Amino acid sequence: MFTKATWFQKRKYGGWGITPRTWQGWVYIGIFVGLVMIIQSLPFLSEMVKNILVGILVVLFVADALRIMATLKKDELEEKNEATAERNASWAMVSVLAVGIIYQIFSNNLKSVLEVDPFLIGALVSGFLVKGISYFILEKK
Amino acid sequence: MDNHIKELRARYNLTQEDLAKKTNVRRETILFIEKGKYNPSLKLAYEIAKALDSKIEDVFILE
Repeated sequence: MFTKATWFQKRKYGGWGITPRTWQGWVYIGIFVGLVMIIQSLPFLSEMVKNILVGILVVLFVADALRIMATLKKDELEEKNEATAERNASWAMVSVLAVGIIYQIFSNNLKSVLEVDPFLIGALVSGFLVKGISYFILEKK
Repeated sequence: MDNHIKELRARYNLTQEDLAKKTNVRRETILFIEKGKYNPSLKLAYEIAKALDSKIEDVFILE
């Protein structure tokens, strides 16, 4: 929208998403934070109007970040490294989710209730589905 | 897989950065390939050979 993808780089060592790589990227982040602060400090706006304006800004910001992530160029070694890192991260998450589900089953079993957080099950099922769909698409190509 | 990228770069007076630009990859990728830590795709191998004005079999050696 307003930015160049070259101002940013993919986060590698600190989670997911993008981080500024040039001063223009930092200025862009600064303008966003500045606008939010200005909107929040305007005394003549009601809380609802402030929330709507900030919400619009956040939506634009997230949309722009997603566009940048989609257009950031990666060479083949970066793609391979990213795939390996994401696979390792997903295995860590799946392990914690599985332990969480087992813990909930056992702890609730002691109370004679069979109840597991649906979000834990949902996360595992969505991962299961996305993996299957990804393989299907990749091997059909 | 071994390679002669370093020698060929020296022959054509190319830095890793120059070769990276010619093949549209990062300098780090050229470094990893040169050190034998990463085997490039066939496409990139061809691009490297082309940038070094050599045949692919003269750049990469399957041990």
